[in-house]
Amino acid sequence: MSSGVTRRAANPIMQSAAWRISLWASLAFAIGTMLVFAMLHQFVANDIQRRTDAWLSGEVEVLADVAERTPKDHLYSAVVGEVAELASKEVPNRQRSTEAEDHPSAAELNDSVFFLQTADNGSARLWVGSGDGATNLAAIRASKALPDVPYDVTVKGFSFPFRVATVRIADGSYVYLGLSERDELRVLRSLRVRFLALWFVIVLLGFVIVFYATRRMLGHVRDITEAASGIGQADLSSRVPTTSRNDEVGHLARTLNHMLDRIESAMNQLHTITDSLAHDLRSPLTAVRGKLEVVLSGDVRAEQIDPIVSAIDELDRLTEFLNTSLDVAEAKADALRMSPTEIDIDELLRVMIDLYEPCLSEKGISVQLRSAGTVHVVADAALLHRVVANLLDNEAKHLPASCTVVLGLRSEDGFAELVVEDNGPGFDDAIGAQIFEQRAKGRESKGHGLGLAFVAAVVRAHGGDVAAANRPEGGARLSVTLPLAAQRKTENSLLLVNG
Amino acid sequence: MGSMRVLLVEDEVEIQAFLKKPLADAGYDVDAAEDGRTAVMLASQNTYDGLIVDLGLPDVDGIDLILQLRKRGVASPVLILSARRSLDDRVKGLEQGGDDYLTKPFAVAELLARLRNLMRRNPVPVENLTRLRILDLELDFIKRRATRGGEVLNLSPQEFVLLEYLCRHAGRVVTRSMLLAEVWGMRIQPDTNVVDVHIYRLRGKIDTAGRVPLIKTLRGIGYVLRGD
Repeated sequence: MSSGVTRRAANPIMQSAAWRISLWASLAFAIGTMLVFAMLHQFVANDIQRRTDAWLSGEVEVLADVAERTPKDHLYSAVVGEVAELASKEVPNRQRSTEAEDHPSAAELNDSVFFLQTADNGSARLWVGSGDGATNLAAIRASKALPDVPYDVTVKGFSFPFRVATVRIADGSYVYLGLSERDELRVLRSLRVRFLALWFVIVLLGFVIVFYATRRMLGHVRDITEAASGIGQADLSSRVPTTSRNDEVGHLARTLNHMLDRIESAMNQLHTITDSLAHDLRSPLTAVRGKLEVVLSGDVRAEQIDPIVSAIDELDRLTEFLNTSLDVAEAKADALRMSPTEIDIDELLRVMIDLYEPCLSEKGISVQLRSAGTVHVVADAALLHRVVANLLDNEAKHLPASCTVVLGLRSEDGFAELVVEDNGPGFDDAIGAQIFEQRAKGRESKGHGLGLAFVAAVVRAHGGDVAAANRPEGGARLSVTLPLAAQRKTENSLLLVNG
Repeated sequence: MGSMRVLLVEDEVEIQAFLKKPLADAGYDVDAAEDGRTAVMLASQNTYDGLIVDLGLPDVDGIDLILQLRKRGVASPVLILSARRSLDDRVKGLEQGGDDYLTKPFAVAELLARLRNLMRRNPVPVENLTRLRILDLELDFIKRRATRGGEVLNLSPQEFVLLEYLCRHAGRVVTRSMLLAEVWGMRIQPDTNVVDVHIYRLRGKIDTAGRVPLIKTLRGIGYVLRGD
């Protein structure tokens, strides 16, 4: 239990449902948008490619046409080169980057476009572009592409591949027009960078919105939880907060309140029944007891005193039995009427031992207290007094002479543990685990078998537990645990933080 | 000084009947009412030194009746009789206001003891005593020491508190539940004779052989320390 509390305390937000929901929602959102973008990216890339190819194919046809028609004189290379350079100025997807301002346009142009005409023997006849074109030619040679469609060529010394279109002209030479994919790739990269930045912001924003929306929503649930946990045994009249909205949370609150209505009415019925039962039995008991007392206080012969006194004793025991039975019934139904206060069990035990010590030592039983100091619990004082008294009554009634009772008190893991140990004969094997059941008692027992049932019922109603066992070294061991007072406060504050 | 007047508000005729005699024997003038209406009527016509009110009346809730009487200026102390098992907060409020309560069934002696305590509460400033003397028993509340016939009694602090309580109520019956509540601060009903053993021990130290016994046991009721 305490480890759970510590973990929650370590990072309350990351443990909250709102956090997990937002994480999953954002993940789904991120993956979805990423997929949409991937498709869009593919589409844009294809479209750019198609435009490039269309331009390349068109231009290479024109250039081939020019190359074919221009007479093969000394002006040939100047004319064709000029046409090629002019054509390359209309390159699609051109980026007006800072580079373009730094360098002369021709240098930049030549960098991204080349024109190559090869002779029939395969050697370069005309080259327009940056460098001598040898590497380009070698790369084109190396690629085994079909001449009809543009293809990719990676040229040594260039970080971006070229898109190359080829046309064979009538004289048997080939005309190549290459366009660097640099700009195309840059457009795509810039698209990706922008998208990723935007995507990141959107996902983050989505996460924050979902987180706060869920947190708000779950805040209502938390309010309901808090209110519901506050509606204890003592107070069934309050209700969880409802919202006017007709959503699941509002429905939950209303359902809880309806349930509480039913529980409250059932509880009131139980109270009415036990009260009227108590009342109906007590009034005649009072009358009988009173009459006996009146007789006793009058002129009574000596031999008549004893039967009357024992009748009064029997009546008192009957009353006590009636009271305890009804208390156990109510405690088991979690319907005890309690007014809890903070109580130091250590102090209570000392007073109780003081009260019981003479009675126990009269029977030859010694009693010891092993306690490390104050241990505070929140409990109904009168009920807790009776719990401890019942435990000691139990020892006083069942323990043979010259035995020792040890009351141990310690606080551990947010619980106060009270252990009552003796070195007597222990519990009858026949009773064993039923020791805390109503009417369970040893064969020799003269009690009505309600004492420990009352202990168990009251302790459980306070959120604690009881256990009974025979000690291996002989004797009985009863243990009672109750939540510590401070622990309750811590838990409540953690719940508040936890969202 | 005339005898004290007490108003008994109780709807059960049987209980009313057996209470009247011991109350009369104890020297009280008793008027009885069977319902709240009669009680209000009687209380406004007469002045009572004390009221005994049962909570389960046929026409009005006992606590409402008490509050109603208080509003009408009836200031007499009230002893509440209750057949309910647990007392609601309003009774606790009344208890803090100086009234007392008793759950049914009760010992008549306890009722008389508590009634007497209630009605004496105001005029007797016993609390301020520093010394108390009953026959040859002397209690020194400052030194927390008791002597009998000049001989210091070897009492534990708890035994001194117990003896002090008995002495302050000398001549009156104190019941086991009164001792548990007042000396140990507990409202419990032990199955065992825890209180009796304390009294036996105390008696063993006070009523030694040859002296006049001071603590008397009333079987089935409680104890009484001899008055002067």
